[in-house]
Parts: sequence; structure tokens; C-alpha cells
Amino acid sequence: MTGMRRLIVMRLVQVPFILLAVYTITFTLAWLIPGNPLEKDEGRRPPEAIATAMQAQWNLDDPWSFYWSYLGDITGVNWLLGDQTGPVIDFGPSLRHENWTVGDIISDQLPVSMTVGLSAILLALLIGITMGTLGGLRPGSWTDRITGSVSIIGVSIPAFVIGTALLMLGGVWLQWLPIGGWGSWKHILLPSLALSLPFAAWIARLARQGVIEVMHADFIRAVRAKGVSQQVVVVRHVLPNALLPVLSYLGPATAAALTGSFVIEKVFAIPGLGMHFVDAVLGKDLTMIMGVVLVYSAMLVLLNLAVDVMYAWVDPRIQLNGH
Amino acid sequence: MLRFLIPIVVLLAALITLVLLDRGSDDAEFVIASENEVFTLDPQRMSWLTDMRMAYALFEGLVRWNTDDFSIEPAVATSWTTSPDGLTWRFELDESARWSDGSPVTAHDFVWSWKRLLSPDTAADYSGLLFDVLGAREFWDWRNDALASFDPSNRSAESLMDQTDSVFAETVGIRAIGDHTLEVELAQPVPYLLDLLAFAPLLPVHRPTVEGWILHIEDQEVLRQNGWDAVDPPAWEDRQFASISPETGRLTSKHSWARPELMISNGPYILDEWRYRRDLRLAQNPNARSHRPGSPRSILIRSYPDPNTALLAFDRGDLDWLTGVSADVRRDLLDAADEGGRDDERLVRSIHAVPAYGTDFFSFNCRPELSSGANNPFHNPLVRRAFALATDKQAIVDHVTGLREPIASVLTPQDAIVGYEPPDGLGFDPVMAVAELASAGWTRNTSGELIDESGRPFPPVELLYTTSSARHRRIAAALRSQWQQLLGIDVHLVGKDSKAFSVDLRAGNFMIARGRWYGDWGDPTTFLELFRSTDGNNDRGFNNPDIDARLDTAKHESDTATRMRQLRSIEHDIFNLHMPLLPICQIVEVTMHDPADTSGMTSHPRLIQYLGDVTCLREEP
Repeated sequence: MTGMRRLIVMRLVQVPFILLAVYTITFTLAWLIPGNPLEKDEGRRPPEAIATAMQAQWNLDDPWSFYWSYLGDITGVNWLLGDQTGPVIDFGPSLRHENWTVGDIISDQLPVSMTVGLSAILLALLIGITMGTLGGLRPGSWTDRITGSVSIIGVSIPAFVIGTALLMLGGVWLQWLPIGGWGSWKHILLPSLALSLPFAAWIARLARQGVIEVMHADFIRAVRAKGVSQQVVVVRHVLPNALLPVLSYLGPATAAALTGSFVIEKVFAIPGLGMHFVDAVLGKDLTMIMGVVLVYSAMLVLLNLAVDVMYAWVDPRIQLNGH
Repeated sequence: MLRFLIPIVVLLAALITLVLLDRGSDDAEFVIASENEVFTLDPQRMSWLTDMRMAYALFEGLVRWNTDDFSIEPAVATSWTTSPDGLTWRFELDESARWSDGSPVTAHDFVWSWKRLLSPDTAADYSGLLFDVLGAREFWDWRNDALASFDPSNRSAESLMDQTDSVFAETVGIRAIGDHTLEVELAQPVPYLLDLLAFAPLLPVHRPTVEGWILHIEDQEVLRQNGWDAVDPPAWEDRQFASISPETGRLTSKHSWARPELMISNGPYILDEWRYRRDLRLAQNPNARSHRPGSPRSILIRSYPDPNTALLAFDRGDLDWLTGVSADVRRDLLDAADEGGRDDERLVRSIHAVPAYGTDFFSFNCRPELSSGANNPFHNPLVRRAFALATDKQAIVDHVTGLREPIASVLTPQDAIVGYEPPDGLGFDPVMAVAELASAGWTRNTSGELIDESGRPFPPVELLYTTSSARHRRIAAALRSQWQQLLGIDVHLVGKDSKAFSVDLRAGNFMIARGRWYGDWGDPTTFLELFRSTDGNNDRGFNNPDIDARLDTAKHESDTATRMRQLRSIEHDIFNLHMPLLPICQIVEVTMHDPADTSGMTSHPRLIQYLGDVTCLREEP
């Protein structure tokens, strides 16, 4: 396992550099958004002198100084050098929602986005693997055609349509589930189902392809020749090999699902980060943009690492040597 | 296969942990949903209607409105007197008024909160609200200059702050006389002063909370008994949310006091829970002066960014009051409310379209030159008049917005201000529009091109709008086709997101731009001051010394009827002669509440709803 250890160490060493690059690029792009985050879009404006002074107070008049002071805040350097009050890693207050710090908002809303994302991925695995395996075992059959069409629908119908349809079905007609909002397990079902469908469709296609390929492999014929039952063949021998592509898809898919979906969060009125992030960009809420992007980048890097490790562990044929 | 299950088990475990860690939401007696979220709960820092609604629930000012006709009723001030010249006002405060921690509400609370509003350090959008108070404007200017010229090597920031406090106490006409009498001295009479005093930015806040005072136990007890004025303010190091920047001399504030665990308020409600974008829960304040019988004991505000979802939730009975119903959803329901023939009676009787205290308009750039340096045809009022005369507003509200808003020919809305009847502006008259263009010097040559005396063609007109809402794009497109058809002028639509839009608007980088204005206080000046050349919101660059002088005259007029006549004549001239902006229609606010379940909702254009005035008639589910 030295290969794996080396891989983990190498990747972890890379993390700060990746994050610094992300910080720099995001900062540059966010700074280029026109306008002043402290100013409201409509309504009465404070006098010019005030606007200028407020910009200065938040370093918004000087990109260079904002870049470095904010970098100091989020790395904890300013905390170390300062009087060590307040949070070590300080994302600062949201520029547009002044009663909140970015740290508060992320710690409130990231778990919500993660809950929806995780349950969507689990649902996607369940739906996708079942459909893919059923289809792949009998390619060309009716089962295959039905599961194939369902997965095409899952990929191609936009989330807001599926979301609204599910709301109508579960909330209005059946009256089983609440309409939007957050607070109990009932609130999780519809949004995670809506979010899971495109992922489920991909997983189904990957699984189907994998099953078809493995079913034709020589070792399966050998296992069958031994007289092993179909169930055992599929579960013990086909699936572990056929699902490797699904596993490698799982990393990016989990990351994508966790980062929250703007559309799903909007339709189901879920207080997650995805929607907030879009608002932050539109409103040029610099601290919010930087905070969310950095937290997500860190999560992404770590998730990818986890998937690589997992991949090697599940399939010992894969050699990890740090590349 | 077992190894495959490991990632799934890990994911499942993570999911279960997250679900278990999440605190659910409590129900409430009255549930409000809004497309807009609450930006801030700090009264002095707010400027949105949604935020102010919260402020009126959490804080109680000197006076309040009767929301049927917007007359003034006593609140923390039980009575008041005015000097014969109308300059000195004295308010007697209810001695039983308490903050939610049990400490008394005193005149010092108002003095401090208003000083906070008036300090450049607070950067309030409404810092100018009290500029008619004696010495207030001078104080604001003085502090601003002192900050601009502050040199940390010369003096300490704290000494400047001490000086600021004494300048305020000595020069500004806001004084506490004892604990329960507040005196306000004006520089000139303000006929609508009481209306201003009911307005959210003038609500009192609790100084020890806002500054985050860390006090000794014995001081805490004194504070609770006699108010914060009875104890010495702690050193700046012992204030969690306020500090003075040694470099700039400026008071810097953290705004995190406006949170459930920390906020102390004096209104009918206290902040019980606030999770961003998730739920804002209010509970009745046990220390409030009084509660109306039947007012909800708890109120939940939920945010529904998607209008369809909000409507579904309302339809199912999850919501009592839905504010700001969005454009595309409301049209069919409103039609059904007008025409009948829809089977869902509850939805139809629940939808209410109320004309609001605001106007949608388009601004003309009145500057002589465009930001590109080119000559600006709209510098000429005759051209602006021609465009206004060529605008068929009725067609826009009937077919484009579909809300049948009352069309507007002036900025001040109809039937909104007692004692003020807005004048008529220009109507729709295509023939006169063309004549107007001709008298501005724009005539057609033989090939049908619109040219001026020196033969230069009329430049293509750029119409700037915000892409944030389909409504704005649709109105802009309608204007383009009307003007192209009736005036034969090429119009280009320029759509920008709201940030880029405001940059252009500020810089005067537009020819015609969309706009919207809500009035703040119950007086025409809340609209007409916009046309003062020096006003901070004069995006049009409109500069007319005659209008400025007449606004000043009206400001110093003490007879109300005369003053209203003067203002009416100013508004008449602005919208008949100068036309710096083209009013389209009064804004219509669409909300949903079932009259069978809820009573006490205002339908006055000012649309300020005290949540404590609401009565829920619905049986608890």
C-alpha cells in the first residue's frame, strides 16, 4: 500500500496550491463583475461620500489590498497575527446580507445542500444500477427498451419541469408531502428524487454497458459452465466488474450533487447554498462568492481523492503510484 | 461485492447524520411567504419594504399609523405638543414601555438611535431623513469632513468620537429631557414630521445590544432597572460589535446583533428564530406595551423564491399570506377574479391587486451631452414631451403587463396622500407628438428621414432596461414599437443585469432608462424632491433652477393648503413642461390572503402592514 500512501500525501500537498489558484481566479472574475455590492439595485441611495467611505472600509476600492487581507482572513494568518478573537478562518460578513457572516450562512446551508445531494446520489445509485442491470442482462428486450427510454427522459427533461411535476403529484394531488421548504424527512424526498434523475440515468447507461461487456467475458462463461446460478453470477461476478465505471462516475457526480442545484433549490424552496451562490454572483457579494467557491473546491479535491483511493481498493488490479 | 457497498454505506451514514443534526422548523399561527428575503433587521440600515415590515413587528416607534387611512396614532409617545411656530416638538413617553429584557424604553433610546441614523459612520440610506432637524445637516457635514480630514498622527480616533458626541449634544435639536420626555427642534416646519417619526429608520434600537456591551453583573442589574443611560458605557474593547478604526477614525460596526439569541426589541414581537432563507420566526414579546386581542402569538416568514411553488403552497393552505405574487402566475388568476368561471373559489377570492405607493417610469437623460460626448437630443424638453405624447400607456397596462395598473401621467400616485390631488400630466396624443418634434427642430426630409436644421439625422435611441424581470423587457419592447411606429425613430433595446444597469444609470450612460420609485413618507415631497438638481437620486441630470427655487419656497411654507397648492403646481409643470421622466403606471402589488381566514390586512397604497394588527380566524389545524 505504499503507492496509495504516496498518492494521498502527494494529493494533500497539492491542496493548498489548488485552492490558492482557485482563490486567485475566482477573485479576479468576481472583481470584474460591474457595480458595487454595497449598493442596492433600486430605491433611495446614500450620499456619494458615504458610498465611497463604505467601499474603503471593506477594501472594495483596492483589489490588491482586498486580495491580500481576505487571503489573510481565510487562511487564519490574520487571526494568528492579530488579537486572536473571532473565528480562526474568517470568511467575513456577507456584503449584501450584513446581519450574517459568510461562515454562518455556509454552516447553515451547506448541510442542507449536502442532505439533498447525498440522498439524490443514493437514490440515483439505487434507480440507476437496478435499471442498468435489468437492461444489460437482456439487451434489446422490452425491459431494456423501457429502462432505456426512462433514462433518456431523465437526462433530457429540465429539472424545473420534473420538480414542478413532482410537486403537483406528491404535494397537490396525493397530498402526502409538503410543498417546498425544509425541516423534516418529508421535505427531502421530492427534491432528492428530482435531483437524482439525471444522475440515475447516467448510472443506468454506465451500468448497462458494463453488464453487457462483462456478460460476454470468458470468465463469466467459465463460471456459468461450473453451473453457478444466474443470481449468483450476476451478484458475485458480473456486478463487481461491471460497476467499476459507475464508481469512477460517483466522484464527480457526488460533488455535482452536493454543490446544490440552483433550480431544484428554487423550485422546492430549499435553503441550500446553490441558490444563494447564484444570488451572490448577481449581487457581487464578493465575500460570499469567495467563501462558497473555496469551501466547494476543497470538498471537490477531497472527494476526488477519496474516489481514487476507493477505486484502487475495490479493484486491486489498479496500481497507484502517485500519477 | 461487499467492497462496493462500503461507499454506499459511507454516503448513507453521512446522510443520516445530516438529517439527525438538522433542527426542524416549528409551526406558527400565522405563516407569511415572500419571494423576497429579509436583507437586514437593523432599522437604521434598511430600505426595503420586506425588511421594514419586520422592523414594525420587532420595534415600536414614537407614533404609528392607523393603516386604514394612515393617520397618526400614539405609540411609545403617549402625547405631544408643538410650539406655535411649529419648530419645537415635545413628546411624552409611556413610562411603562419596556425592552424585551425588561429594561425601560427611554428618551435616550430615541436620541441615540436617531444619532446613529444621522451619523455618516452608519451609512444609512435614509441618513437624510432628519436633515430638517435643527443642526442635523450641519452635524452630518461636520462629521463627514472630520472623518475625511482625520489624521491618526495628530489625534486619536477616540478623541474625535468624544468630540462628535459633544457636537451632537450641543448642536443637534434632538434632546432627552429627563428619561421620558423627548424634544425635537426643527430648522424649519416639517408638516409631515409625525409621519416621518412612524417610519422604520426612526424606530429605536437598544444601544447595549447594538454595540454588544460586556458589563459587570451589578451594572447589568442597574441597566435592567433604569436603562442603559444609568450605567457608564464600557470601554471600546468591551463592546463586541462596535469599534473605532484607529486609521480612519470611523466607527465600524458588526451587524451580527440582529440575531435571535442577541436581539432585544421593544415591539409586539421578538425574534425567535432566524435561519437564513429558511425561516424567520417571531414570537409575542411578553414585555410589549400591549397586544391587540386576536393577534397571532407566533409568526413564521418563509422564503419561496419560485412563484409557482409559493402558489401551490398557498393553494394547499400551508400559507396565510403570500406577498409579492409574481407576474406570470397572477395574470390568469386576476382574470378569473374579474370574470369568474374558475372552479377554485378560494384562490380567486384570495388574490388581491392593490395599487401601491409607487410608480413605474422611464427616465430621460436630460444632460446636454451623452456620456459618449455626442449631443443629446433629450436635452430638449420638447423632444421629451414628444416621446411622452407618443406613449400609449393604456395599451401597455392592458396588453403588456396584463395587470391593468392605473396609468400615470405624473409621479405621485393617486389617492395616496391626504390633502393632495396629483395634477394631470400629458396624455396620449400622437399628432401633437409629431408637432412637438417639429417644433424642437426635427422634421422629415424628402426621403422621410428625421433631421434637424443642420441636416443631421436623429440618432438611434437606446432604451436601457434591467433583465431581472420579464416585465421590464416587455414594457421596453412595447415602448420601442410605439415610438418607432408613431415617431419614426429607431429605438434599440439595451438589456443589462441590475448591477451593470445601476453603474450606467449613475454615470449618465443612457438615453432612456427604466426606473421605479416608492414614496417613503406621506407627503408629495417624497416624490418631488427627486427633481431637485442636487438630489442624490437625480439620475436624469435634470437641472432646473426654477423648480429648485419653488421646491425651496414650498419647503418654507407653513400653511398646509398653500404648500400643497405650490407642490401641485410644481408637479404640474414638471410633467407638462419639462418631462424629465415618463411615468407609465402606478405599481400594483399582488398578494394572496383568504379573507375568510385572515382579517386586519391593509389595502391602503402605502402597504405597510403591522403584523400585530392581523387576526387569524382560521381554526388551528
